[in-house]
Amino acid sequence: MDNNNPGAFKRFWNMLKRPSAKYSLIAIAGTSFVAGIIFWGGFNTGMEMTNTLDFCVTCHEMRDNVYQEYKETIHYTNRSGVRAVCSDCHVPKDWVHKIVRKSKAAFEIWGKITGSIDTREKFEARRMTLASHEWERMKDSNSRECRNCHSFDAMSPELQKQTPYKKHMKAREEGKTCIDCHKGIAHHLPKEYVEPDE
Amino acid sequence: MKKPARSALSATLACAALLLLAPAAHAVDAEAAKSLARQNNCFKCHAVDKDKDGPSYKKVAAKFHGKANAEARLIEHITSGEKAKFPDGHEEEHKIVKTSPPKDMDQIRNLVQWILAQ
Repeated sequence: MDNNNPGAFKRFWNMLKRPSAKYSLIAIAGTSFVAGIIFWGGFNTGMEMTNTLDFCVTCHEMRDNVYQEYKETIHYTNRSGVRAVCSDCHVPKDWVHKIVRKSKAAFEIWGKITGSIDTREKFEARRMTLASHEWERMKDSNSRECRNCHSFDAMSPELQKQTPYKKHMKAREEGKTCIDCHKGIAHHLPKEYVEPDE
Repeated sequence: MKKPARSALSATLACAALLLLAPAAHAVDAEAAKSLARQNNCFKCHAVDKDKDGPSYKKVAAKFHGKANAEARLIEHITSGEKAKFPDGHEEEHKIVKTSPPKDMDQIRNLVQWILAQ
């Protein structure tokens, strides 16, 4: 190979390696800093856009199925006017767990392309599998997303009904987590689901 | 066969057919009833044949057996938020059963009929 006539990639690489003779270090550092802010801001803004309710229901699989069910629940409309949107329950808030969840969600694009749940019948047929994945994720994180808003400590024995309060305190003693008992609170339960001890 | 006898036979057969069809028309959809019960967390406090915080459904069915207003009374109990008495004696509002779509009385009636059939 003729080293005196390198290819385009090699020439680009050589240019990157060559120290700048034209720009000062402070100009390069300053430009890199500003570019970094723009990139990071853009990346995070883009990611936050995918966390909105409007984004989630652009896909008809969500809009026609789980969204319609969620609209009938207390997490959508309630006395105090606080709404929990899709991402509040399904996407972690902290950055590391959020990136991991978002990366895994990329596989959902494959599901969209292959039409794995593009009809009501297909969705119902896979509901138990999909719900089980989410219940497992919540169980593994000790219901982290529920606990962003709810906690055993904040439950008032005066304001909460006696029976649920008693059950909550027993659950805490037994080391249970929210999802152990609260399945299907914002969506319909799969038809295959059976309560333990019916 | 004489004409009146034939009419009597037809009428009898028609009545028999109606009697056979009537239960089918009001047949309880057990799966739908249990599904609604699960969705509303009924089984957290009730079970079919075991007392929990609430009485077993078998016990509820026995209590209302033969009572004309059983269905209406149970519908009132699970849709009005009236007080329910607990084993320790305290009273608490019974959960209001919710349906999807909301306030679908056919679903509520089906659940109540399933409970009464235990």
